Amino acid sequence: MTPPFRRVLIANRGEIAIRVARACRELGIESVAVYSDADRDAPHVRAMDRAEWIGPTPAAESYLSVGAILEAARRSEAEAIHPGYGFLSESAAFARAVESVGLVFVGPPAETMEGLGNKLAARRTAVAAGVAVTPGLLVSAADARPSEVEDIGYPLLVKAAAGGGGRGVRRVDGPAELDAALDAARAEAVAAFDDGTVYIEKLVAPARHVEVQLLGDRAGGLAVLGERDCSIQRRHQKLVEEAPAPNLSAATRTGLADDARRIAQAVPFHNAATVEFLVDESEDRWFLEMNTRLQVEHGVTELVSGVDIVAWQLRVAAGEQLPPDVREPTSSGHAIQVRIYAEDPWVGFAPSAGTIMAWQMADGPGIRLDAGVEAGYELPTAYDPLLAKLLVHASDRPAAVTRLRRALDETVVSGMPTTLGFHRWLVDQPAFTDGRYDTGLVSNAWVDGPPLTARDRSLAAAAVAGARGELTEPRGDTDTRPAGLDRNGDRPWSRLARSEAVDRE
Amino acid sequence: MSDEIEILIEGEKVGPADGWSLAWVDHHQRVAILRRGPDREVVAVEGSGGEWVVTVRGRPIAVNVRSHRDRLLAESGRLAARHGGPAEVRATLPGLVVRVDAALGDEVAAGDPLVTIEAMKMQNEIRAPRNGRVVAIEVVLGQAITGGALLVRLADPEP
Repeated sequence: MTPPFRRVLIANRGEIAIRVARACRELGIESVAVYSDADRDAPHVRAMDRAEWIGPTPAAESYLSVGAILEAARRSEAEAIHPGYGFLSESAAFARAVESVGLVFVGPPAETMEGLGNKLAARRTAVAAGVAVTPGLLVSAADARPSEVEDIGYPLLVKAAAGGGGRGVRRVDGPAELDAALDAARAEAVAAFDDGTVYIEKLVAPARHVEVQLLGDRAGGLAVLGERDCSIQRRHQKLVEEAPAPNLSAATRTGLADDARRIAQAVPFHNAATVEFLVDESEDRWFLEMNTRLQVEHGVTELVSGVDIVAWQLRVAAGEQLPPDVREPTSSGHAIQVRIYAEDPWVGFAPSAGTIMAWQMADGPGIRLDAGVEAGYELPTAYDPLLAKLLVHASDRPAAVTRLRRALDETVVSGMPTTLGFHRWLVDQPAFTDGRYDTGLVSNAWVDGPPLTARDRSLAAAAVAGARGELTEPRGDTDTRPAGLDRNGDRPWSRLARSEAVDRE
Repeated sequence: MSDEIEILIEGEKVGPADGWSLAWVDHHQRVAILRRGPDREVVAVEGSGGEWVVTVRGRPIAVNVRSHRDRLLAESGRLAARHGGPAEVRATLPGLVVRVDAALGDEVAAGDPLVTIEAMKMQNEIRAPRNGRVVAIEVVLGQAITGGALLVRLADPEP
């Protein structure tokens, strides 16, 4: 096969940059890494054929700098730019800028992003395409309390109409709370966007978050690669994803795929995108939004469909058409992904910092690891704390859950709290093993996490007792050091080096 | 090594051995396997002296080891603290040291900033809990720290 491109610049960092570089390597494409000051020695830089410096540590001056990235592409003579996800991946302006200098943007066209990027525009597109959206209502600044609110029903959500994301969203459980919520949302909307228009939307709860993966070529060929369930979230951010979605009727599965197809056909579309839906207990479904980029959870769909989504992003970007086996793939088995974030699940998933001391990853049948870090890696606090994604694939869902538990038992990360503790808890929860959970699982069942068990304490104590017995303490050294100047004044690796030196004696 | 030790987790004493045996999986990365009959767990063990962290099933567990001598010192420390003696100032959150406001030997008043930590894009000034003299600064500018890390030690102000 002729490589789709000779050289591609990957405008991202961490695990996703490495993921894209792997696809490039398999396709015979040379990859170009970009890096900020903080990432000079980062694993993603070593994973590629070339590397270009793009600026200081703050993302605004490096990974979000359109000028710096285009300049790096010019210097490295790249033919195309893959944006990964996050950073500039959903910027229509960036996509246009890339095309305007004669390079290929590996992602959906700017028109798709514009038609679907704004939440209200996306809803209009969906309604026009005949896809259900959650009942909602725009309330102008002058309209005190529209009567149509009662038709939507409670509970509902109130938020500023301008802007996007989950910011400033208020939950209203009954008519008594509505006026106060409207006033607060208006004040915020004026302050943030100089526009007092607010938006009221029905709150679907309990609900599952189910999304459909799309892949399209430039000739209008479209592949609907099945759905994923991404209901396990904290702060509206996903933690665990699986494909296919568990306990969904065949009719709903087909309905979701058809809805996604209709939305893709309502806008100019090619490359990869995801259509997100809420599905309630009676399997009614509502369009939520369309993500016009690769998703963090694309891997679970790759495992069950056998379609390499990133490779096909590159191939369709170069003009190749999707063959029949990609447009109609045969789905096989079940896949689950857990995201390993540097966050402490026991303190509200607060970001953690530090140097990775131990990095032992699961291996063996049915395991896939997409990682961006390694042992000894000092995590820059300036960027997203996603360290790696651990994926399992098995013949069916129970086998996949068992495999995930086995994989988590093989996985050890130390040096900072990670979400692994949450995942290990999750795989023993009946709601998860039965595949009957919704977006409320973290806030309702995890809350602040379980307390230590007697076994946890016993193991921790035994580990310390054992380690003290095994390791020869540099006693003379310890005793002469000023009090307290051990753990905090010293870098972990110099500590390690010192005790290694003692071990060799 | 006849010194009798005490192992503490969340302030509670835990029996040390409990029938587990330890073997290193990766000595360099401090990863070990513990076995007790048919039960097994792969854990990471970091630390030295009195302060350890053991990661069990993905969860870091702080473990303190105290010798008889440490217990005596801790007791006298508690007495001293009650009388305005040495105080340890610790970070409440993990983050990055973006400013060291205090210098060694400084006389500080309660409420004076000692160290500024950036966590979750916000800067937090860690302030002196009481009047005192800075006798140790345990962090440096740009250092990434964990929640609970020791930042500064304060002693009694000079008379």
